[in-house]
Amino acid sequence: MEVDRELVEAAQAGDRWALEELVRRTHRSVYTCALRLVGNPDDAADVTQDVYLRVVRKLGGFRHEASFATWLNRVTTNVAMSTLKRRTRRFTVEGAAVPADTRDPAPEPAERAEAVALARRLERLVAELPEGQRQVLVLRDVYGQSTEEVANAMGLTPGAVKVRLFRARERLKAELEAAEGGQVVALSGRRRATGRRS
Amino acid sequence: MSCHAVRPLLPARAEELTPSEALMRAEHVAGCARCATEAAAYSRLGQALAVMAHLEAEPAEGTLERILVAIGRRRTRVTDPRVLAAAGSAGALVATVVVARALRQRRHSRHALATPWSRRLRVPGLPLPTAALARAK
Repeated sequence: MEVDRELVEAAQAGDRWALEELVRRTHRSVYTCALRLVGNPDDAADVTQDVYLRVVRKLGGFRHEASFATWLNRVTTNVAMSTLKRRTRRFTVEGAAVPADTRDPAPEPAERAEAVALARRLERLVAELPEGQRQVLVLRDVYGQSTEEVANAMGLTPGAVKVRLFRARERLKAELEAAEGGQVVALSGRRRATGRRS
Repeated sequence: MSCHAVRPLLPARAEELTPSEALMRAEHVAGCARCATEAAAYSRLGQALAVMAHLEAEPAEGTLERILVAIGRRRTRVTDPRVLAAAGSAGALVATVVVARALRQRRHSRHALATPWSRRLRVPGLPLPTAALARAK
């Protein structure tokens, strides 16, 4: 999500076109983040709308100390977490939380092609993590928030965030390896063959 | 250092470890093929997760339009603190001028009440009324 500073400043100054353009450029990214956090498309759409209502209220206070994308991501996180506190999940259909039509904002360089392909496979695996683990992992590892930021957003201690993060990464790696053709089995075999180093 | 002791450190990103933990992990991984493979797998996982931030899902049809309508209704409430500050300053200035004028007018009217009508009405070059002259004497 690339947003020009000039566009943000124009929106801050009350330019209606700039504000709408800001929404057009960023709404997919906000929706995707919301979907990863709340876990279903209906709630994600509601969160996306609430995010922009909050943006309209708070945009004047945005001081460009962080990038607009980072600020918007924090707003999305806060709105999504507030929504989750208010609501119970209405439904969970297997695969429903996965961004079904993921699209790249720009063509990826060749060296990142493998990482992009892997990221697409990871979407489904991430969506199937337990909610608490998924949210911590998405905020920390996908959106790069600090452990403290994640703890604040989720009302957890940094220690609890680290525990969830460890479990989520461990589980995700195991599931990814299993999905990719049994590297876990291969590792186990190697472990038996070489013995454990101590 | 055993694999068992290092295992909890393998999924962590470098900045999540203390310097001593990072050193411990690096030294162990350098000499243990299995933990090196694990560490590499976590590193690859971390890179792929970071790439996920650039993948976007397409929201349901009509979502964008719904948002635009909603913010259009709310847009009139956009308040830039700089604009608010400027408006506040202008308001304060106007209020100061109004109060100052009111005080001046009040002072002026008090002064006018305290001054005899004859002096208030005195025009240079005209003789004072006789009553006023008698009082003066």
